[in-house]
Amino acid sequence: MSERNQGPWSGGGPSDPIEILTKVWEDIRRQFGGGTPGRFSPWLIVAILVPLYALSGIFIIAPDERGVILRFGRVVREADPGPGYHIPWPVEEVVKPSVTQIRKAEFGFRTVDAGPPARYRDEDVEALMLTGDENIVKLQFIAQYKVKPEASGATDFLFNVRDPQETVRAGAEAAMREIVGRNEIDNALTEGKERIQEDAQLLLQQILDRYDVGLEVATLKLQDVDPPDQVSDAFKDVISAQQDKERLINEATGYANDVVPKARGQAAQLLNEAEGYKAAKLQDAAGAAQRFIALHDEYSKAKEVTRQRLYLETMEEVMGRMQKIFLDDFAGTQVVPYLPLDQVLKPRPVEVVEPAAQPATQPTAQPGRR
Amino acid sequence: MDRRWIPILIVAGVVLAAWNLAAYSVPQWMQAIVVQLGEPVRTVQEPGLYWKLPLIQNVLYFDRRLLDYNASPREILTKDKQQLVVDNYSRWRIRDPLQFYRTVRNEEGAQSRLDDIIYSNLRETLGRHTLREIINEKRAVLMEQVTKRSDEKAREYGIEVVDVVIKRADLPEKNELNVFSRMRTERERQAKKFRAEGDEEARKIRSESDKQVQILLAEARNKAEVIRGEGDALAVKIFADAYGRDPEFYQLVRTLEAYRNSLGEDTAVILSPSSDFFRYLKKLEPSEKR
Repeated sequence: MSERNQGPWSGGGPSDPIEILTKVWEDIRRQFGGGTPGRFSPWLIVAILVPLYALSGIFIIAPDERGVILRFGRVVREADPGPGYHIPWPVEEVVKPSVTQIRKAEFGFRTVDAGPPARYRDEDVEALMLTGDENIVKLQFIAQYKVKPEASGATDFLFNVRDPQETVRAGAEAAMREIVGRNEIDNALTEGKERIQEDAQLLLQQILDRYDVGLEVATLKLQDVDPPDQVSDAFKDVISAQQDKERLINEATGYANDVVPKARGQAAQLLNEAEGYKAAKLQDAAGAAQRFIALHDEYSKAKEVTRQRLYLETMEEVMGRMQKIFLDDFAGTQVVPYLPLDQVLKPRPVEVVEPAAQPATQPTAQPGRR
Repeated sequence: MDRRWIPILIVAGVVLAAWNLAAYSVPQWMQAIVVQLGEPVRTVQEPGLYWKLPLIQNVLYFDRRLLDYNASPREILTKDKQQLVVDNYSRWRIRDPLQFYRTVRNEEGAQSRLDDIIYSNLRETLGRHTLREIINEKRAVLMEQVTKRSDEKAREYGIEVVDVVIKRADLPEKNELNVFSRMRTERERQAKKFRAEGDEEARKIRSESDKQVQILLAEARNKAEVIRGEGDALAVKIFADAYGRDPEFYQLVRTLEAYRNSLGEDTAVILSPSSDFFRYLKKLEPSEKR
């Protein structure tokens, strides 16, 4: 092809290259070396333009790029990063898409300001989705994708689909909605997230492969999955109801933990008291019995004397502390005796037990004090 | 300028002009038809360099890539009489540029034709299924059906429909409100249930512990009484054993002890000197009066 291209110029002048070069050299010498000025040779132009033209085929592919070389519009080969050469325009040209760059698409929200602090705006039309049980969930996610590293990735990306970015967007939305449609809302809000994410990524990749768009999904990640704003308070109330339940149970358990051990303690106390009572009763009884037996042993030795002695000792003690009024039998039978008991007994203090206290209290225990 | 250059330039000019008129290249992302005096004569679907007759033939290019068709959302009535707002898209490509050129001429024409084909297929297919089937169970299958039918239909126009996909299927706004209120009541029901369950559990736990407390204490009282009773019984036995040796003496001793315990300082007694205790009192000082 290149020969055919050169055709027009090789048709006329001298055909021997050495002759041509000599002639070119002479022209240059004449032009600049002070020969006859004004004599202009087309060979000079050719001599400058042809190398320049040939050099225009050099290209450099940056590390993040991949070169796709087209000959008359047809893809002939791909080139890795580094320098390369293609036949100059209009025969061949090179396209250098960035292939390592990870592209990102946002769904259900848009980054207003990457920050920091980052600010986002909700896109509810995108975010609200129907779940399998005909509820609505608000779901935001991102997709990251890049050109496939395989040999044909860059070519596919460039030439198979008119609008690859939009294709990813639409595909991702469709995939996510299809997957969410297969899930129930509770699942989508809680433990099903991972699974939804994986399924949607898989489905999106299938869709992209069907289009041969030369892209692969690096990640598809759920950001926020929430109930719609219109009902979020009801959902929150369920959470707090759950906590209320926990709290009530905890309180009740606390109550149980409080009263049952206390009752056990009380029970033990009752038993111990009873044991103590029993032991005391036995000891008292044994003691009293022993005392009686001892007394009785002595008594058996001298019955009458001991009887008398016990009687008199007791009476002595009892009579000694009692207030006594003697009344002869004779006096009692004569007239009705007048006996002002309260006066007779008055000087006596009331309810004083300690003998030592008696002298001190006696003077103060006058009627006026009452 | 040298005169001998002139023919060279002329030849070069002619060759360039001929090249321009006779050669054309079809890029990787394009396909073309060659039209001779208004009559399509050839279809070129492979990229590369081609030749044509200058002047009387010209080339019409068409995109060879996957193209998108994006409809605005439309309401579709499902089998269970639910309104569903469906936002779908489709990917298609020009399969036969000649046929395409003859029937719809350009992409705009194709879009409106696809609109007819896809929408009618979608409406018909979705109309035969319930909302639940569309959303949940059969989505992929249904869309395959729609794709297949649309593709068959679109072939007449030289178009291949690669797929038809429901991007969004939502309820219309008024139904959405119904869904929200249903969701709300559903959640309220759950919340009530949780709270009632909490109450239930709490009551169970509390009453169970109260029960345990009652049982524990009653058992303890029971045992305590038994123990006390044992104590009392044994004490009685011990006393009986001891005092049984001489009941008469016991009576004496116990009576005297009772005197000692019951007659205190505040006891006043009116005595007759003739009582037994004062027997000697009278005999030794018979005139003594109080």
